[in-house]
Amino acid sequence: MNRAYYYLCTGLAIPAFLWMVPILWMLSLSFQPNDLLAVTTSNTALGLIPLPFTLDNYLSLFSFGQTHFWFLNSAIVAGSMTIAVLVLSTTAGYAFARLNFPGKRALLVFCLLGLMVPEQAIFIPLYTMFADFGWHNSYHALIIPRVAVPIGVFLMMQFFKGIPGEIEEAARVDGVSRLKIFWYIMLPLARPAMMTLAILTFLYAWNDYLWPLVSAQRPTNFTITVGLASLQSNFAQSEGLGRIMASGVIASLPVVILFLVFQRYVVQAVALGGSKG
Amino acid sequence: MSESQAARIRSGDALTAYLLLLPFLLTYVVFLVFPFLKGVWISFYDWDLLKVAFNPDAKEFVGFENYVRMFWGKGMEWSALGRPLVQLGAIVALIGVFFAWRMKKISNQLFAGTVIALVLGYFFFGWAPGEGGRWYNRRFWPVVGNTLLFVALTVPAVTAVSLVLAATLNRETRAMAVFRTIFFLSQVLSVTVVTLIWQIMFSPRQGMLANITTAFGGTPIAWLTDQGFAMAAIVITTLWWSIGIAMILFLAGLQNISKEIYEAAHLDNAGPIATFWYITIPNMKRTITLVLVLQIIFHFQIFGQPHLMTGGGPNDQTQVLVRYIYQTAFRDSDLGRASAMAVFLFIIMAGFSALQFFISRGDEE
Repeated sequence: MNRAYYYLCTGLAIPAFLWMVPILWMLSLSFQPNDLLAVTTSNTALGLIPLPFTLDNYLSLFSFGQTHFWFLNSAIVAGSMTIAVLVLSTTAGYAFARLNFPGKRALLVFCLLGLMVPEQAIFIPLYTMFADFGWHNSYHALIIPRVAVPIGVFLMMQFFKGIPGEIEEAARVDGVSRLKIFWYIMLPLARPAMMTLAILTFLYAWNDYLWPLVSAQRPTNFTITVGLASLQSNFAQSEGLGRIMASGVIASLPVVILFLVFQRYVVQAVALGGSKG
Repeated sequence: MSESQAARIRSGDALTAYLLLLPFLLTYVVFLVFPFLKGVWISFYDWDLLKVAFNPDAKEFVGFENYVRMFWGKGMEWSALGRPLVQLGAIVALIGVFFAWRMKKISNQLFAGTVIALVLGYFFFGWAPGEGGRWYNRRFWPVVGNTLLFVALTVPAVTAVSLVLAATLNRETRAMAVFRTIFFLSQVLSVTVVTLIWQIMFSPRQGMLANITTAFGGTPIAWLTDQGFAMAAIVITTLWWSIGIAMILFLAGLQNISKEIYEAAHLDNAGPIATFWYITIPNMKRTITLVLVLQIIFHFQIFGQPHLMTGGGPNDQTQVLVRYIYQTAFRDSDLGRASAMAVFLFIIMAGFSALQFFISRGDEE
C-alpha cells in the first residue's frame, strides 16, 4: 500500500506540473525584460526560469498605463457587490426559511425561476435600461444588476432551515421580535454560510466579463478583466509582453490568494451549489 | 399563549417577512424579471440601437419576423433524407435506444426523453432551402452548430478528466490535498487571464508550443488562425480552465459511496482500473448526469474564449451563439434580432435547467 501510494504521488507530480506550466510561464515572463521577450520567449528552460530577471514590468504598472485604476475599480465593484448580495440573500433567505406568510410558496417559486435566466439572455435589455437612465460608465451600473442572485437566497434559505427551531422559539417566548432574532441570533450563526456566499460572489464579481464589457466603455471605468482584454488586442506591440503578463499576474493575485486562504469554503460552496442549485 | 395572541404574532411575522423580502424582491423584479420581459418585447421589434437611442419612436413592431429571419429561409423544403448522415444517424440511434430500453438498460423517462429529442431532430434536419431558395440568415445555424460542437467536445473531455482525477485524488492525505489545489487553481482565474496565457501559449511565433515544436525541428502550427486547429485550441483552453468545479462535484459524490464496497473489491484483488470501471462509475451515475447537465448549461454560453482568442475566426469557425448575439446587438446595432437570438438561448438553457432541477430533486428522495 505504502509503496503503491508513493508511486501514485510520483506519477501524479508530472501531470500536476504540466498543469501548472501555463501559470508558471506567465509568472516567469512577467519577470523578464521586454526587449528580450521581443526576440525570444524561451531564453532559459523554455522561458520557465526568469533569467535575466527584472522587476521593471511590475514597477511600470504603477508609473504609466491604467492598470492600477482598473484594479481599484474591480476592488470597489467586487467588494460592494459582495456586501449587497450578502444583505439581500440573508434577509430573503431568512424570511423564506423561518417565517410564515401568505403567498410564501408562490413567491419562492417566482424567485427560484430566476435561476433559469442566464445573464447572457438579458444583457441587451439591461443595456438599454441603463442607457435610458444614463447610468453607464459608473460603479453602480456595474454593481446593481448583479446583486439579486436567486442562488444566494437559496443557499442562505437552506442554511437557515438547518438551524434547530428551539433557539428561536426560546427567544420568541421571551418576547424578542423577529428582526432582533434575525440580527442577534441568526446572523451570527450563519457566519460560515455567509462566508461561503461572500467568497463565491467576490470570485464571480472579480472575474465577470460580459456585463462590464458592455457597460463600461470609457477606459477609466474598465474593471481589470475588461482592461486586460483591451491590452490583449494590441499584444506585445505597444505594451510589451512582459508588462502584459505582469498585469495578468496582478489581476489574478486577489482571487488566487482568496482561493488559497479560503479553499475550504470555496470547495463547500461548489459542492453545495452544484448538487442543490 | 391565547389564540388572539398567536394570531397577532403570526400577522407580525408576515409583516416582518415582507419587510425582509422587500430589498431582494425589488432588485430581482427591476433588474432580472423586468429586463427579461423587456428582452422578449424587444425581440418583436425592428429596433436599431443607435436610432432608438436618439429617438425612442424609431422602432417598429414586426411580430415574429425577427424569429422567422433567424430560423427560416426562402423556398424551404422538407425531405425524408435531406441530410442523410444526420437523419440516418437519428434513425439508428432511435433503434439503439429502443433496444436498450427493451433490455432495461435505461429508465422509462430517459427513453421517452431521448425518443422525443431524436424524432424532433429527424424532422428538424429534414428542412433545407430547396432549388433557388436560401436561408434568411446564413450564419445563424452554423453558429449554433459551432456552439454545439464546442459543447460536444468540451463537456465529455472535462467530465472524463475530472472524474479520473477525482477518483485518484480522493484520499485524505496532504499530498493529495496539494494535487487537488493545483488542479483546481486554474478555475479561479478570469477568462481574460486564461485567454491571455493560452493566446501566447498557442502563438506560432512566441508560443511555448511553437518553441517546443521548433526545438524538435518541426514547423509550428498557427493554432488560432488555422481552420483545423482553432476550435481545438479553444477546447484545450477551456478544458484547462474548467475541470476544477467538475472535479469538486465528483469528489463530493464519491463521499457517498460506502467504503465497504471498495474494501470488498480490494479483497477480490480488483485493480484500480477495474474498481474505477465497475464500482466508481456505476455508483456515480446520478452525479455524472448532473455534472454533464451543469456543464452543458455553462459551456453553451461560451463567449470570452473565442471573443478574445480567435475573434470568431478563422472563417467563422469559432463563432458561437453568445458572441453572435453580442455582435448583432453592439456592432450591427440590431437589437431586435439579437434579442430574438437571446430568447432562443434562454429557451435552450431553461430546458436544461429544468432537467437539472429534476435530477437534483431525485437526489433528495
